Amino acid sequence: MFHRILVEDWQRALSIASFTIFAFVFVLTFIRVLRMPRKRVSHLENLPLENDTHEQRR
Amino acid sequence: MSNAPATSASLSKIRIEYDDDTVRQFTIAAIAWGIVGMLVGVLIATQLAFWQANFNTSWLTFGRLRPLHTNAVIFAFVGNMMFAGIYYSTQRLVKARTASFFLSQLHFWGWQAIILAAAITLPLGLTRGKEYAELIWPIDIAVALIWVVFAINFFWTLARRNEPTLYVAIWFYIATIITVAMLYIINHLSIPTSLTHSYPIFGGVQDALVQWWYGHNAVAFFLTTPILGIMYYFVPKAAERPVYSYRLSIVHFWSLVFIYIWAGPHHLLNTSLPVWLQSLGMIFSLMLWAPSWGGMLNGLLTLRGAWHKLRTDPVLKFFVAAITFYGMATFEGPLMSIRAVNAISHYSDWTIAHVHSGALGWNGFMAAGMFYWLAPRLWNRPLHSVSAANLHFWLGLTGILLYVAAMYVSGLTQALMLSATRESGTVLAYPNFIDAVTSTRALMVIRTIGGAMYLAGYIMLAWNVWKTARLGQAVNGSIEVCVEPPDQAPIGLRGGLFGPPVIYAMLSILFIVGWAASSGVLSGMSIFALIATLMAMSMHKEMTKTSWGQWYEQLLTNSLPFTILTAVAVFIGGIVQIIPTVMFDKAANIEGMRQIPYTPLELAGRDIYIREGCYNCHSQQIRTLVGDVLRYGDYSKMGESIYDHPFQWGSKRTGPDLAREGGKYPSVWHFHHMRDPRQISPGSTMPNFPWLFTDKTDVAALPNKIAVQRRLGVPFPPMTADQLQSSIGKQEQLLSDELKVAGAEVPPDREIIALIAYMQKLGKSEQVPAPTTTHTAAR
Repeated sequence: MFHRILVEDWQRALSIASFTIFAFVFVLTFIRVLRMPRKRVSHLENLPLENDTHEQRR
Repeated sequence: MSNAPATSASLSKIRIEYDDDTVRQFTIAAIAWGIVGMLVGVLIATQLAFWQANFNTSWLTFGRLRPLHTNAVIFAFVGNMMFAGIYYSTQRLVKARTASFFLSQLHFWGWQAIILAAAITLPLGLTRGKEYAELIWPIDIAVALIWVVFAINFFWTLARRNEPTLYVAIWFYIATIITVAMLYIINHLSIPTSLTHSYPIFGGVQDALVQWWYGHNAVAFFLTTPILGIMYYFVPKAAERPVYSYRLSIVHFWSLVFIYIWAGPHHLLNTSLPVWLQSLGMIFSLMLWAPSWGGMLNGLLTLRGAWHKLRTDPVLKFFVAAITFYGMATFEGPLMSIRAVNAISHYSDWTIAHVHSGALGWNGFMAAGMFYWLAPRLWNRPLHSVSAANLHFWLGLTGILLYVAAMYVSGLTQALMLSATRESGTVLAYPNFIDAVTSTRALMVIRTIGGAMYLAGYIMLAWNVWKTARLGQAVNGSIEVCVEPPDQAPIGLRGGLFGPPVIYAMLSILFIVGWAASSGVLSGMSIFALIATLMAMSMHKEMTKTSWGQWYEQLLTNSLPFTILTAVAVFIGGIVQIIPTVMFDKAANIEGMRQIPYTPLELAGRDIYIREGCYNCHSQQIRTLVGDVLRYGDYSKMGESIYDHPFQWGSKRTGPDLAREGGKYPSVWHFHHMRDPRQISPGSTMPNFPWLFTDKTDVAALPNKIAVQRRLGVPFPPMTADQLQSSIGKQEQLLSDELKVAGAEVPPDREIIALIAYMQKLGKSEQVPAPTTTHTAAR
């Protein structure tokens, strides 16, 4: 049984399933990202640039 | 100090003073431990060129110090640097002070105590014998507890945040916290035999798979994702412009998190790991090219219009070089995961070059850039010497290039020499392994010089930061925040986890797996169910007129469901790879060759082998490659290490493979070789092990060790204490007598006797009868 589970050919299908799942997730993410409102993107990308007193003193 | 209400007219305005004390502590600790880790690295590099640098002392030998070097650099240097960066950037990105100063301090001091404990125990030979997972079980528990403290503090801070959205750096930190916890706990599952010793619950091929699932993802989720989060915060700060493409950073995150976890088996190509796992590891490693380079380009292009600053700003110099090294290392990693390339790179210094271009170039330079950026802000004073920082950059860069160039040449030399054949591939061109060692001796010296230059650069950094801190004044940053009521109702845990998009996505994934993993009717039904699910999703959207985009937007402002969904993304890879391999009763079902269990004395010898860190230089795995088979014998089978807790396949061959060492040489050969390797093998760089001839074998620990091995499924026969003593005594006496006849005298109770007993057992297996069912019938 151990031998069968580890070496038999059907396990190769996992590679295909894994790749398909990734492609599915990737496409969903990609579509979602493209549809993000510009205003929201602008707000998020500027978050690191908000200065505290560390920067203001400089 | 907690968030204090401001005295201004508006009640919704608050002033926050950040906890930068913890950031300062982690920064100083990272620099100090970094220097220690690099110093040990330079010492062990010297040992590979000059064996005398082992000083004939147990706690200074290569096998014990190499784990100290790797653990110090990964967990002490990068760990402390990562915590400094996370504490600094998280507070500012979420506009809230860290939730608990007590937990921050517990985290800091707990982590330093762990590192100190590791620095003491590893040179003493107290180890679990698994790479980057060597720490003994009480320290492992402490690591898990302190990690939980960190996680509580982090998520508590997120819960108290005044910025509703979560910047992508925070996503990377969340993925780090969740995944490292999962990896660390699973790979460290052990049963103790004493306060300082344990056996991992996995053995043989299972242990190999779990170990490299952990080992690979320690690189991914400890050395990469948190540093990417730091990159996405500090590079825009230093360049004074937003990240090149925020949209690309989102794709970078999800792709990386989803793919990385699957790639672990690429560390075990051409071994006795099942081929389907090797293929899976290779495919996902190749897929990593895309997100890694997407992230690298995103980082580099953030400097658009600011490239001229590179000439004068050491911070940007370090960041740009670091991101470039990230790109090179993440191009090289997938390349090395191609089975044919791996045949050359694995077990050779090519891997060492790859690792160090990542560790020194990516991690070390990102750390240096961050420290130079932080120091003037944390101590309210311009950097003491910009020119010294610039000098550090060039010194460090030259050091890295010398180091990796030497290792590439060395790796290729070793691999090509050791696999070279003549007479139509039937005879080895270089039958003596030592030829590859002596041919690369000069390259080991160059590597040491490169490492020393890199270390010198970091000592300059320590001096520069120390002068800045000493002449400046520690100050905490603060900010005034307008707190606005949220414009959206919270999504809640249930809404986040059981929203229609999640349900439909999970059903689709289930049916995709059903289609791929089944055949005939079941496969057809899965396709039908997948189409039905997609149609139902479409109808649901049409009928309810809801926008799932809004659900996604809400998810991004709700850290808990976001965290759980991220965890699901990383769990999938682990589940698919590990569950099929570990769920079956291995020994009862093995076919072909099966390992003969060790005797008690051989087990004691094996523990000495692990204690001395022999696995750092010697593999126990003959790959399915012509060079390996001609040199060491028939390739290793899955069942031949089935009782090995932990497995000892190794990752580097500074010396030859030992999988079939048993019986290859007489016992007296091992006796003299362990006392003075150069007497047997001129040119060898192996240390002398004089203490093995004076120290007594720890027989008293064996009853507990054997009891644990039996619990793990190793078929040790039941023995009374007297029978055990008798078994050990007889084998010791036999070996001692054999040595005496050959002219080597040593009392039978010395460690060298147990070690030789173990060495002579390596590769002893028995044939297992073929199964009665045929291949087709079993299906």
